[in-house]
Amino acid sequence: MIEGAYLALVLAAACFGYRMIQGPTMADRVVGLNGFVLVGMSSIAVHAVDTGRGAFLPVLVVLALVGFLGTAMVARYIESRGQ
Amino acid sequence: MLAGSLLTLLAGIGVVRFTDVFVRMHALSKASTLGLLLVLVGAALALDHPNDITSLMLAAVLHVVTSPIGNNLIARATYRAEGIPTGIDTVDELAEVRGTPADE
Repeated sequence: MIEGAYLALVLAAACFGYRMIQGPTMADRVVGLNGFVLVGMSSIAVHAVDTGRGAFLPVLVVLALVGFLGTAMVARYIESRGQ
Repeated sequence: MLAGSLLTLLAGIGVVRFTDVFVRMHALSKASTLGLLLVLVGAALALDHPNDITSLMLAAVLHVVTSPIGNNLIARATYRAEGIPTGIDTVDELAEVRGTPADE
């Protein structure tokens, strides 16, 4: 079950990375970056269950906040710049 | 947890396959919020230290609060910016609303 979760997360990371590299506009890249942050959060949680120690779990809180701040900043940038 | 990871994979496939920015954003935000919630709740059920459970729940609440706001900001910026193909080709109600002198 843990292996299945890891596999699904790796495939999802590949999809988001493809969109982040390929994406025609900057909004597509932001969507890919959001997905990448999400895969990172999920894999930290899965890894904590896998090893049984939760030393990295506060990173999840920080990652949620930083992801939101980055999204908001890039949104302001897109609005002023276009494309 | 496995279901949450599969939902995240589904969001990734949607982000690759869909055609324009708004549809991709739709696929990412909904499927991935439910996926992350399932993963975090599953991890909170599997771990038993109170610190771990508190961190997981706090991260889940923060993501649920901030993810719609962030996606709304991105969608509004994309709509207002020039030159992004949005795929809006039927009825654009927001343009009619914005044409009137309402406060933004």
